[in-house]
Amino acid sequence: MSQVELIMPELGNEITEAQVDLWHKSVGDSVAEGEEILTITTPKVTMDLEAPATGTLTKILVEEDDIAAIGAVLAIIDR
Amino acid sequence: MPKSIHIDPSETRTRGVLDAASIQIHAYDRSISDEQSVRGDAELIEAYRHMLLLRAFESGIASLKATGSFGDLTYAYKGPAHLSIGQEAAAVGAAMALAPGDHIYGSHRSHSEFLAKGFSAIRRLGDNELTSIMEGHASGQLLRSVETHLSGATPTEMAENFLLLGFLAEIFMRANGFNGGMGGSMHAFFPPFGAYPNNAIVGASAGIATGAALWMKSEKRDSIAVSMLGDGSTGCGPVWEAMNFAGMAQFDHLWDTKGGLPVLFFFTNNFYAMGGQTNGETMAWDRLARIGSGFRADAFHAETVDGTNPLAVADAVSRQRAHLLEGRGPAILDIECYRFSGHSTTDVNAYRTKDEIAAWQAVDPIQSYRTSLIDAGLIEDAAAVEMERQTDALIQAVFRAAADPDVSPIVNIAQDPTLIGRKMFTHGSTPPAHAPSSPLIEPAKVVRIRQNAKKSRSGFDNDGALLSPLKAITLRDGLFEATLHHMLTDPRILIYGEECREWGGAFGVYRGLSELFPNDRVFNSPISEAAIVATAIGAAMEGARPVIELMYADFIGRAGDEIFNQLAKWQAMSDQSLSIPVVLRCSVGSKYGAQHSQDWSGLAAHIPGLKVVYPATPFDAKGLLSASIACDDPVVFFESQRLYDRVEQFQSAVPPEDYHIDIGIPDIKRIGSDVTILTIGPSLYPALEAAELLAAKRIEAEVIDARTLVPFDYDKIIKSLEKTGLLLIVSEACERGSFAMTLASNLTRFAFSVLNAAPHVLGSPNWIVPGADMEDTYFPQPADIVDTVMIDLINDQKHTQIGVRKWNDISLAKEGL
Ligand SMILES: Cc1ncc(C[n+]2csc(CCOP(=O)(O)OP(=O)(O)O)c2C)c(N)n1
Repeated sequence: MSQVELIMPELGNEITEAQVDLWHKSVGDSVAEGEEILTITTPKVTMDLEAPATGTLTKILVEEDDIAAIGAVLAIIDR
Repeated sequence: MPKSIHIDPSETRTRGVLDAASIQIHAYDRSISDEQSVRGDAELIEAYRHMLLLRAFESGIASLKATGSFGDLTYAYKGPAHLSIGQEAAAVGAAMALAPGDHIYGSHRSHSEFLAKGFSAIRRLGDNELTSIMEGHASGQLLRSVETHLSGATPTEMAENFLLLGFLAEIFMRANGFNGGMGGSMHAFFPPFGAYPNNAIVGASAGIATGAALWMKSEKRDSIAVSMLGDGSTGCGPVWEAMNFAGMAQFDHLWDTKGGLPVLFFFTNNFYAMGGQTNGETMAWDRLARIGSGFRADAFHAETVDGTNPLAVADAVSRQRAHLLEGRGPAILDIECYRFSGHSTTDVNAYRTKDEIAAWQAVDPIQSYRTSLIDAGLIEDAAAVEMERQTDALIQAVFRAAADPDVSPIVNIAQDPTLIGRKMFTHGSTPPAHAPSSPLIEPAKVVRIRQNAKKSRSGFDNDGALLSPLKAITLRDGLFEATLHHMLTDPRILIYGEECREWGGAFGVYRGLSELFPNDRVFNSPISEAAIVATAIGAAMEGARPVIELMYADFIGRAGDEIFNQLAKWQAMSDQSLSIPVVLRCSVGSKYGAQHSQDWSGLAAHIPGLKVVYPATPFDAKGLLSASIACDDPVVFFESQRLYDRVEQFQSAVPPEDYHIDIGIPDIKRIGSDVTILTIGPSLYPALEAAELLAAKRIEAEVIDARTLVPFDYDKIIKSLEKTGLLLIVSEACERGSFAMTLASNLTRFAFSVLNAAPHVLGSPNWIVPGADMEDTYFPQPADIVDTVMIDLINDQKHTQIGVRKWNDISLAKEGL
């Protein structure tokens, strides 16, 4: 078993942080690579982030409504 | 952009050939007896009488221009005369195929088209409708003049005389003209007969008619819009933008009501623009109708038609009308005909031969049609002569009535000096919650709305620290809330512009809106700034209230005519019979250099007829946008990209419910007693920083945010100056010719007695906006504001300059800077 991190992606050169809006999955749920598991927003855009790997969502590190910097680890998936 | 349309590389990369439709040229081949059975004799004879009336009407104008007289009337008509003598069959033929509810949008040469449309509508409207239209216009005054001076045995006859007099009085710019004398020859119109504005700008009707058709489609009306254009207008970019817009594929694939726009581009092709010959000299096309193939496999049903025969034209227009009502629009007609008269009365025909004119006169539409009617036994020679005598006599009487100041009063400006001024704006406002419309999903399910609900309505946290734009309502959110409120409460609101749907507008103001509303309420337009504005004007003329977005103020130039000549002028040119409730949202950029960073609010403010708003705070942005959308006048609404993420620092909260802030009232953002700093748009924030720096020097600045450029209430500023005696105006626009300069000059006059020094303007220098890293050397910074106050207003000899503006304005001016 290995761990894969879900990371807050680059969102354009002026954006330094984004907000976690909604987790579509909970800890313990299985996720498939490419499945949209989280909605994030910046003042300008709303986007869904995909699971980077197939496995189990074992940790959520940024809760809904919290703000995370670009590059921050948002969740861990065990595969 | 819509994810529903998949672009498959294997499909697009497959070898193939594009087919082009065959385009019919002069396909009409019905005989008069065929036409008799389809239309009946009366209509065919009426077409002849209508052509005679048009010829007599325009010959009267030609005579006045050439000799100063017409029959027994002597009158110096000073206005324009773009006559269409020779083109009558095109005008009458088109009108024969149109219903009263079909609307024509004309050109500079549209006298005949206007009259023909009127005659055709009058034939189709019932006596009661005609009487109520005539009684309803100008409280029945024009009808009274007709009764007294022209009479008429039936409501139909009365209505024809009403049409002729109302139109000619308008051409003579008299108070009883259809447009109160505010339109004139090239701009006259009368909506009740389906004759919408003629337009002196070549090609301008294309976009406006397209917008009219857009709203006809949205309202599911059984009618079409016709753009009356000349062949020369095929060289105009905005005409191409309009044709593309009208044929956008989304109307078929993405709208609930399927089908292209019901608009007919009707080109009266007289082979010449003024003296430039279109076919063979100034255009690339060999036959005008070929342009249809530039768009779609069906070539927009383009056809070349014999414009010397009214029946060929009527046949083509009715077939196109059927296409349009079936949802297969738009359509193009190339109507070949010839103008015998000059382009205008100063035309000496230097560009064409006498032989050519004679050859076309030999196929004069009126003579040819008369011969065919006589040959078919529809009319006898003597009756035709008598008909001509009667139409000539009627036109003579109409000219006498239109020229007589007792019947057709001169617009008396001396007696009422601001008469024209009062026609610019209605200052009307539509009541809130006009008619609720239901969104596609529950608004609370939209991420944006859910998030806004959780955000702080104030920009500060409990400890007084400024909140992140992710945690508090921003200026962008304020704009969204105002828009959403109107979208939910008024189905006439229509939102479009480039990237307005899934992208949410170029800067995310509309993010979430496309989840709530289908394409017919919010849609992506092509990159066609001219068409975006022109279509909004046309839709507004038909009853919509469009809110359109131009990505950057710098792109205003691409829609120059549409904003400056069309959006700004139609309310006044129509004597306020038309209201143009369009909001043009326009962002002012930064960081992208010279072509993406200019504050052109002053350009908009320079043009009479536009309200101009430029808010700087979330509270003001929401309240002013809501007031602008409710406003019945056209509004250009500027938004600084640098302020979209600003949270509210001045009011305790941005109310979640809808509210209006009156357009035109500046707002004091910081109270002070020593100097008044009046700011436009984002300059508010450096001014506030400068005020703190000045406070450290014991100078208390009063900072006033203009919020609006047009209208502008000077009272608050004058009151402030009574206290401070010193005025600095700060704006990001280049100083020369800017609105800040207008404010400075006006305030010098209005408050001279209380001023202790000449007011000063601190704008951007008169050169290009530099790149991102150099911007703070260009837009006024707090240091520049402090310098100006200390050096230019307070004249403090001990102050050492802290900003970069080390130059002399007088010597810069000599260099053109
Ligand atoms: C944008 C614009 N450019 C130029 C003119 C000046 N102008 C008026 S009519 C005309 C010729 C138009 O030719 P066409 O479209 O063929 O119409 P026609 O005059 O032949 O009816 C020109 C150049 C104008 N009114 N508007």
